[in-house]
Amino acid sequence: MVEIVEGCRLPVLRKNQENEDEWPLAEILSVKEVSARKLYYVHYIDFNKRLDEWVTSDRLDMKKLQFPKKEAKTPTKNGLPGSRPSSPEREVKRKVEPVPLAPQVSPVTPVPSLPSSAEASQAAVYPQNGTARRLIPSQPGRKRKANCGGTDEDSQDSSDGIPSAPRMTGSLVSDRSHDDIVTRMKNIECIELGRHRLKPWYFSPYPQELTALPILYLCEFCLKYLKSLKCLQRHLTKCNLRHPPGNEIYRKGTISFFEIDGRKNKTYSQNLCLIAKCFLDHKTLYYDTDPFLFYVMTEYDPKGFHIVGYFSKEKESTEDYNVACILTLPPYQRRGYGKLLIEFSYELSKVEGKTGTPEKPLSDLGLLSYRSYWSQTILEILMGLKPDNGERPQITINEISEITSVKKEDVISTLQYLNLINYYKGQYILTLSEDIVDGHERAMHKRHLRIDPKCLHFTPKDWSKRGKW
Amino acid sequence: MSKLSFRARALDAARPLPVYRRAELPQLTDCGFISRAVPQMPSGMDKDEELEHHLQRAMSAQQVFRERKENMVIPVPEAESNSTYYDRLYKGQVKVPKQLIHVQPLSLDLEQPDYDMDSEDETLLNRLNRKMDMKPLQFEIMVDRLEKASTHQEVSLAEAKRLLNEDDYLLKSVYDYWLRKRRNRCLIFQVKQENRDGSTNHHAYVAFRRRTEKMTTRKNRKNDEASYEKMLRLRREFSRTVTILEMIKKREKSKRELLHLTLEVVEKRYQLSDFNGDVLKTVALPLEEKAVYCAPVNVNNSSRHKTNVKAKMQKNQVSMREELTFDPTRPKNRCTKWERLFPPQRFPGRLPRAESIYRADVNQYDFHSSGEDEGNSTMVAQTPPTSDDENYPDGVFIFRRTDGCLYLSPRWDGGHVDIQPLHERHFLTKLSLSPDWMGLSRRRTGRGGRILLDRASCSLDSLLNQLDTYPGSWTRSRTVYPNEPVDLDQKLLMNSSSIPSLSQALKNIQTLRRCCFRPRPIQNQRITDSRTAGPSVEDRRFLDTPGSAGGITEEQYYSHQQQLMKMKKQQLEQLQYNEAMSRATAPLDHQRNQSHRSPESTSRTLDSVSAHFAASAVVSTSPSAQDALRPPKTTGVPNCPGASRSSYSTSSSVSGVGLLSIPKQQSQVGAVYPTHHHNIRPSAPPPSALKLATLAAKVIPVSGLPRDIDEPDRQLNGLSENTQPMEVT
Repeated sequence: MVEIVEGCRLPVLRKNQENEDEWPLAEILSVKEVSARKLYYVHYIDFNKRLDEWVTSDRLDMKKLQFPKKEAKTPTKNGLPGSRPSSPEREVKRKVEPVPLAPQVSPVTPVPSLPSSAEASQAAVYPQNGTARRLIPSQPGRKRKANCGGTDEDSQDSSDGIPSAPRMTGSLVSDRSHDDIVTRMKNIECIELGRHRLKPWYFSPYPQELTALPILYLCEFCLKYLKSLKCLQRHLTKCNLRHPPGNEIYRKGTISFFEIDGRKNKTYSQNLCLIAKCFLDHKTLYYDTDPFLFYVMTEYDPKGFHIVGYFSKEKESTEDYNVACILTLPPYQRRGYGKLLIEFSYELSKVEGKTGTPEKPLSDLGLLSYRSYWSQTILEILMGLKPDNGERPQITINEISEITSVKKEDVISTLQYLNLINYYKGQYILTLSEDIVDGHERAMHKRHLRIDPKCLHFTPKDWSKRGKW
Repeated sequence: MSKLSFRARALDAARPLPVYRRAELPQLTDCGFISRAVPQMPSGMDKDEELEHHLQRAMSAQQVFRERKENMVIPVPEAESNSTYYDRLYKGQVKVPKQLIHVQPLSLDLEQPDYDMDSEDETLLNRLNRKMDMKPLQFEIMVDRLEKASTHQEVSLAEAKRLLNEDDYLLKSVYDYWLRKRRNRCLIFQVKQENRDGSTNHHAYVAFRRRTEKMTTRKNRKNDEASYEKMLRLRREFSRTVTILEMIKKREKSKRELLHLTLEVVEKRYQLSDFNGDVLKTVALPLEEKAVYCAPVNVNNSSRHKTNVKAKMQKNQVSMREELTFDPTRPKNRCTKWERLFPPQRFPGRLPRAESIYRADVNQYDFHSSGEDEGNSTMVAQTPPTSDDENYPDGVFIFRRTDGCLYLSPRWDGGHVDIQPLHERHFLTKLSLSPDWMGLSRRRTGRGGRILLDRASCSLDSLLNQLDTYPGSWTRSRTVYPNEPVDLDQKLLMNSSSIPSLSQALKNIQTLRRCCFRPRPIQNQRITDSRTAGPSVEDRRFLDTPGSAGGITEEQYYSHQQQLMKMKKQQLEQLQYNEAMSRATAPLDHQRNQSHRSPESTSRTLDSVSAHFAASAVVSTSPSAQDALRPPKTTGVPNCPGASRSSYSTSSSVSGVGLLSIPKQQSQVGAVYPTHHHNIRPSAPPPSALKLATLAAKVIPVSGLPRDIDEPDRQLNGLSENTQPMEVT
């Protein structure tokens, strides 16, 4: 029997959405022993981290075990595509036990370099998209943020290896090179929030004492974390909140939005960030919440205003961000709330008279949601265009951007994504194909939840004229 | 595809794009998509994650189906929403208010304990509740306080007792329980805080670190200034409010006091059966007298401490009354005044309390706690009630105390106005220069550093006259009248550039030096040089000598002479020591430098030739005298126009002998000069010395009378004016 150590790769059994067995390649991130049984924390390669889990040894395909390759580590660490697992801290954590150099079990050839394997699989399944993406020169992940305009990015990449503090603007990190293994593993098993029990997707820096608990209890309204139901019960006798502790700036039907100042209401903001971190991989809680506003969307029932989702927003963004983090809580996902949050964020930008864009990097779900929102918004405009005095309707990208408050680049990328831009008779035109029109109409038919701008009571503040935020 | 060989124009966001339906452009299908010209926009995702299996599947599904398919969504960990006890946990119902909810930030911070009781605590509580009644909230507050008081180390039981105002038994049991349960880890769980040393910069569980000042933008600076001013104003207002409240407090207190006293008085009167108020009248009479001393108090700050002042007035009156007869208290009173006039920083180390209060008065917004008001109000009350002009006509020339100086109140003994008898301020002096004279005089430094001799007449004058054998002793004939300036003017003007001949001048100066600056050896026991090392006389120009003629008693004179004898001996010894090198010695100030003279400093007794002079004038090379001599110019032209001029202007009224201070001559006398004292002083070149000498020789014979002085002075003036331009070059 070979020792399976952190860094090993092997196929691990998991059920897919159709409840079929799959054996995707996975990396062992951690090993622990619970009541004489070994448990392995696995990350499925090319699957999102949120699906990482503890598995028993019977789900491991030991026959195809690949041992971590020392020399392979260096390139992967540098952030080549598809190399995310392997963390620099691994060496520190690893036990001193000798790694068997000649594995008897696996006759497998040395690990195929990850980029190529990923590329191969991608190319096979999604030739069109895959190649399109490949055209973009792939940069190390850490460099990419520099494109987004962070001026002090380079100073962070301290070549001497001493990690410096991250930049102080924004709420997301794309540079994962400083991640240690701790933050790559979920640390909380279950969160109870009101009626719901949520399985966190990612690490969140709740007090370490509470991470060992089977369930972490949260007050539904003030989001305070408690270690037991009894404590929650006691807390509720003292907590009289029945809505987020901020000003309600929008209400239509049961949907309300509350605005919370990250400086004035630190406790709530921090608690909100802690639970949000459970579902947002790139969110950073490195710095305090002072420069952010939090817009919490709630749904009312007689018990109170229940949090559905939220987005945060920098009071002053240097990069036209109108959203920092955005999250629909899992119980409310895939019901149109995400789009509602996005729509609300653009309504705020419209009031401010600015265009905006979400802070990067987007998550997979974020990208899908935003693309969907942008598509529907732009298509709505394009299809609503009427020919005036017999002339063919036309519109500029800037106009679309102004009407929707969607940043120009996002408009272009959406038009591209929808394949609307064509070159015809020496000029660019927008063409609406039938399946796009049909698809849009169907989607809009399903979209019940909309923001009513008339119900928004919002006056933007000029934060630059105030003190510190 | 050859169609696409040309490069398409870049997409222009400002250019209108016509919108077509695909059906309207059937030919478009042929040319395919032109995505090449339009730069591919980044998706905005992390590059690694962009390739993730589920995302790619979902995206392709969207591309294909234009809507979401159930099995094509990105799978996420499940969430359940079937809590069975939710309704029991969250009790009560909330109605939606008509208006949008508006939260006041302050209303959120209700003082509730952060600690929440767990089931373990509940067991303890139940146990405790068998003996006494204790609410869970009370328990939570206790634990909360204990937790918050102990950061690194648990609070001790004694501290806990101070912290919690609880029954001893209850406290002990909760404290013990808490200590056992805590075991060095916090019971109130908090997100890990950063360490300030930066060791937690990359700790996974540390969150919400404080941002450094880097975040403050330029824009805020101006704003900061404005808000700072606002804060200052706010503080001022608040301090004013506090003052007013203090005053009200005081007023109410005194009202109560008054009531009590009135009550007491009535009771006492009742006991004395003083029904028609006779006793009260007799008792009240002295009180009215007291009121005479109630002077109006000048308080600059109209709004502050008014009542305080009034309240303390009574107290102050008593002290002021005492001051009237008892003088030494006055300076103290004055100094508060001065502190009012001049910022108290000038008096470091003095009355720090008074200082702070003083500043408070000026700035108005200083904050006083009620505990301070005692010293506070007394200080204010101490300020003299009279206005500045009455008491301090000197204005800016007012006497200011210097640090570290001990100021004694002047002694007043009877009718004596003079501090010292005449003979103590004047010394027997002999002038060795041509206006030979011997008598009481004193030396002082005049304007521009000239050395002046003030002469006084005394009962010994006739005796001295006899001793003075010099034929030209005409000056002695001048009598001194009482109440008239007794000093005869003798002026030795130091500088001028009119030199008849250099060699003669040199001769002159040599003789001058020899006879002028050397003390006389004792020839007559009774009449000697009367120089003492006593303190320099105060800065007074005129000396009133009423009754000064009999100023010296026989005893005093003798003791004085004995002193002089001693000094003479010392001088002789030194003289012998220096004989060899003192051919052209410079004169020295014996009066001043006696105590710290160096071996090489020279002074010679007069030789036998000049022995007939009873006293010798001493020319000083004291620093003050040297100050008069400006740093020598390279031209060698002396430059004391100021000195000569001033002597001219004052000559008519001021009597004085300008004594010559020969500047150090680098070539000849430098070695014998008391360099250790004066080596930092600039040395004058020989020509100036020559001029001085000649001038002195010329002037002195005629300068005996005040009226005569004008002429040479004018001469001098002209000379000095001549030299003035030289100064510049």
